[in-house]
Amino acid sequence: MSGTACACQEIECVEIEIDYSLLDKIIRDDYGGNREAMIMMMQAIQRVYRFLPEDAVKYLSQVIEVPLTKIYEVATFYASFSLEPKGKYILSVCTGTACHLRGSGGMVEHISKRMGIAPGKTTSDLKLTLETVNCVGACAVAPVVVIDEKYYPKANIATLNDFMDRLNAE
Amino acid sequence: MKVLNIILNGKAVTAKMGQTILELAREHDVFIPTLCDSPALEAAAMCRLCTVQVIEGKWPKYVTACNFPLRRDAEVVTDSPEVRHGRKLIIELLMARCPTSPELQRLAVDYGCDLERFTPLNDDCVICGLCTRACEAVTGRTLSLAGRGVAIHVDTAFQKASTFCIGCGACVQICPVQKIKMEDVDGERRIILHGKIASRVKLPQCTSCGKYFGPVIDLKQVMERMGEHLIPPPNATVCPECSRRNLAIKLGKRYFEQYGVFEEEGQANAG
Amino acid sequence: MIEATQTAISHPEVAKITSPSGVELFRKELQSRLDPNAPLIIVCCGTGCQAAGSAEVVDKFKQLLSGTDWNGKVIPLVKPTGCHGFCSRGPLVIIEPQDLFYQQVTVDDVEEIVNKTILNNEVIKKLQYKPANSKEVIPKASDIPYYAKQTRLVLKNIGKVDPTEINDSIVRGSYSALASVLTRMSPQQVIDEVANSKLRGRGGAGFPTGLKWESCARQEGTRYVICNADEGDPGAFMDRSLLEGDPHSVLEGMAICAYAVGSNRGYMYVRAEYPLAVKTLNIAIQQAEALGLLGENIMGTGFDFKVTISTGAGAFICGESSALMASLEGKVGRPRPKYIRSVEKGFRDSPSNLNNVETYANIPDIITNGGEWYRSFGTERSSGTKVFALTGNVYNIGLVEVPMGISLMEIVFGIGGGIPNKRALKGVQTGGPSGGCIPIPHKIPDINVGYGKLAEAGSIMGSGGMIVMDEDTCMIEVSRYFVNFLVEESCGQCTPCREGLIRMREILNRITQGEGREGDVELLTEIGNFTNNFSLCGLGTSAANPVLSTIRYFREEYDAHIRDKKCPSGVCKPLFHYDIDAETCTGCGLCKIKCPVKAITGEKKKTHVIEQALCIKCMECYKNCKFRSVKIM
Repeated sequence: MSGTACACQEIECVEIEIDYSLLDKIIRDDYGGNREAMIMMMQAIQRVYRFLPEDAVKYLSQVIEVPLTKIYEVATFYASFSLEPKGKYILSVCTGTACHLRGSGGMVEHISKRMGIAPGKTTSDLKLTLETVNCVGACAVAPVVVIDEKYYPKANIATLNDFMDRLNAE
Repeated sequence: MKVLNIILNGKAVTAKMGQTILELAREHDVFIPTLCDSPALEAAAMCRLCTVQVIEGKWPKYVTACNFPLRRDAEVVTDSPEVRHGRKLIIELLMARCPTSPELQRLAVDYGCDLERFTPLNDDCVICGLCTRACEAVTGRTLSLAGRGVAIHVDTAFQKASTFCIGCGACVQICPVQKIKMEDVDGERRIILHGKIASRVKLPQCTSCGKYFGPVIDLKQVMERMGEHLIPPPNATVCPECSRRNLAIKLGKRYFEQYGVFEEEGQANAG
Repeated sequence: MIEATQTAISHPEVAKITSPSGVELFRKELQSRLDPNAPLIIVCCGTGCQAAGSAEVVDKFKQLLSGTDWNGKVIPLVKPTGCHGFCSRGPLVIIEPQDLFYQQVTVDDVEEIVNKTILNNEVIKKLQYKPANSKEVIPKASDIPYYAKQTRLVLKNIGKVDPTEINDSIVRGSYSALASVLTRMSPQQVIDEVANSKLRGRGGAGFPTGLKWESCARQEGTRYVICNADEGDPGAFMDRSLLEGDPHSVLEGMAICAYAVGSNRGYMYVRAEYPLAVKTLNIAIQQAEALGLLGENIMGTGFDFKVTISTGAGAFICGESSALMASLEGKVGRPRPKYIRSVEKGFRDSPSNLNNVETYANIPDIITNGGEWYRSFGTERSSGTKVFALTGNVYNIGLVEVPMGISLMEIVFGIGGGIPNKRALKGVQTGGPSGGCIPIPHKIPDINVGYGKLAEAGSIMGSGGMIVMDEDTCMIEVSRYFVNFLVEESCGQCTPCREGLIRMREILNRITQGEGREGDVELLTEIGNFTNNFSLCGLGTSAANPVLSTIRYFREEYDAHIRDKKCPSGVCKPLFHYDIDAETCTGCGLCKIKCPVKAITGEKKKTHVIEQALCIKCMECYKNCKFRSVKIM
């Protein structure tokens, strides 16, 4: 993704170049323009841009002929979709029952305080997005933290501090 | 067509196969309160206010009258203490969210609601979904129910003013708490939702009197959405008043011409 | 007949099976090439073990084995498998043919295993299994009580097959049931056999599967077979391990269902949080289609069944059947009222048969062995076995498959190994956020697991999540956790669930923060009964269960929080503090070392003291004190 966040801290100001031929490949080639596959098309688009840019969603609306307001409804309903740019690193803390009983709530608070962001939000320098996820199914190694699809079993405050130290050094 | 034997609040009546309890109740002047129901739209059963008890086998179960299809002989109880208690809670909870619905206020009195029980949420919406369903029915493509859970709210795409709205005002008409507003300002129709402009529709200006009237609707687009092939009436360029006046002049002229009474009065355009 | 033959099990060539009898021929062919004494290194690669590094263990093995000089001996095959279920001991490695079990294997242990065990038949003691509180090693996997006490029917292939090699599954019987169905059974006979087994839906509701298939088969219109793999209950991962470990059992079950109800089209709805399951399923479907076991003209019989994978996008509610179908159509996952069942009008408003992963996985064996065989396990009203995910305060965390009717105490102590840290058992939560807590052994001595029995006790079977809770668990906090979970996951369309749950959360938050009021319990009960009766879907109508069941069994805890402003279990921070008991403190200093904020002072062999102003109540001293001198006040 090109562009930088502007100084006013409004993440919407980020400039994104939309590759419409890539969108065509996803929508038409991979999913045959089938509107039943809309959620998966949106997931594929999000994998490319790390969020759902408005212009990409508008294009999707035109191609599969689903009203924009309906796609917006879907994008705001499902927790994995983001309409705001995500950070370079996405840190997900599992808050499933087993992880909760082993202190994942405390870990979320700790990161939240240290990085100054609420769960679901991204730091203003776009380095880190903090998320919670309701169970990744690895309950035996609770508490679990996932950073960019890599699983960290039996995570604790020390693991997180290490990661955040390395992040701040970048 | 099979006829069903239903005992409605103790009275023996008959119902058609598949008829909803609400329809049946209305046929027999039995009042069941509703909020999110509208005769123009398919039932959504979201508010749950119309919940009643139905006994089809052994045990009573709670169902919403607006969309429960009667398919067997059954007993229906619309006002048992348990049902009334549940409705009381619904009204208390919705009033805590949005206290200005006249219908809910009336019901609150009827059900003996304690309106101090729950801390207010200060919203201007009872999440009945009528506006979004109406918008979808007229292919307005403007309003939808965004978000999930307690964050659910009526919104436009990306919270921006919609360019698809046809300015029909169905949402304004159907809102039970009258919180959606329509304003015609400077040649533009605005739909105001949650205090923000949800859509802007350009209004044409009467070529006769200069007033702004009705929204400009691209009828070709509407036809395409409806999937119909209608012959559209020509788009109006004079307001309804001028249109009526022009027609009256035309007719009058034709009749009174023989008496030489009328003269040309400015431009006349058959609308 | 088979058109071309395989050369080696691990490198299948393209071959298409063009008749049902071809499956058996192919299986025999593969069987004949199997050397039961061939050396194998099985590595568990389920999500849990992968999180702990098992993929790296596999790579290291492969690297070292290729670099070794074998002197003509047979090179062991490294076989990654799905989740074995003994998750608390992962990463797991099993050396065949001797069934030697190694636990907690890291990439640093691999070299030693190769040199000692593989090359010299020596056993590495430190990697072997010892039961908790025992020094006696149990070398063989099949002797370990955790496995030996289970009845692994539906899990029988997991840990034995490489899920990305279909031949592994075929040689163990996959697709034989489908072949048999296509040759010898009519659709009605299939339905009758499933009905005969009295199998009940394993997703949680326990609806008789045979009856569901019967209703679907009777409908007019295009029929769809849908698999609910949206396992959203936090703490449940049974379906994940089935999909990652034995995908073909599920696919075969779906195909048999399709034949029975008259469908050609299947959908598998997998939650987005299971990327490995999605990957494994895609490979499995591809391989099955290539062999002619799925897709068009299955086994040359003219029967078509195509399966598509669809993913969720982060919504627990999409485990509800009508919400799932809406999501499959690309829409928001808002449930529709169930007055018209989805077997009549479901996906695309057409008759749809929706079943859970585990339900489908049971079907092939029911066909092969008969419904009566299935009924020989379990009880009269709950036949067969159930897979549970045992987590929480128990030694052996992982997946257990047991016959219905087994006692809950047997699961917790016999298989689970009991409660660590000398703590007492307080209760077991079943059914996740829709369930309740069974207060064994102090309030109810025990309970036999079954649909009816669990419902009577105020809980539900649910999908299989089983959370063991010890005396350090605050039941109010547990209720608050589940209500909070449901507040986040509620779709929000209906008043009772959306508004009722946030008000319940408000009350529970106040109680856990020391601001509980007289009348709170009554209000929670009133709102709870209301949401149970008036909500639109199953999420709402079961949302109050955790709260209502804890009020039923743990009223004294509510009273302590509300009236005394105390949390007896030492969880709700504003409602307790720690004090070190001078009578039992030995002055060992362990608590002082463990404290992350240096709030404990004391000299060696003298009573230690906690500085309350500094204490952050992180539980470290309490958890670690061997003499239990740290008291909750």
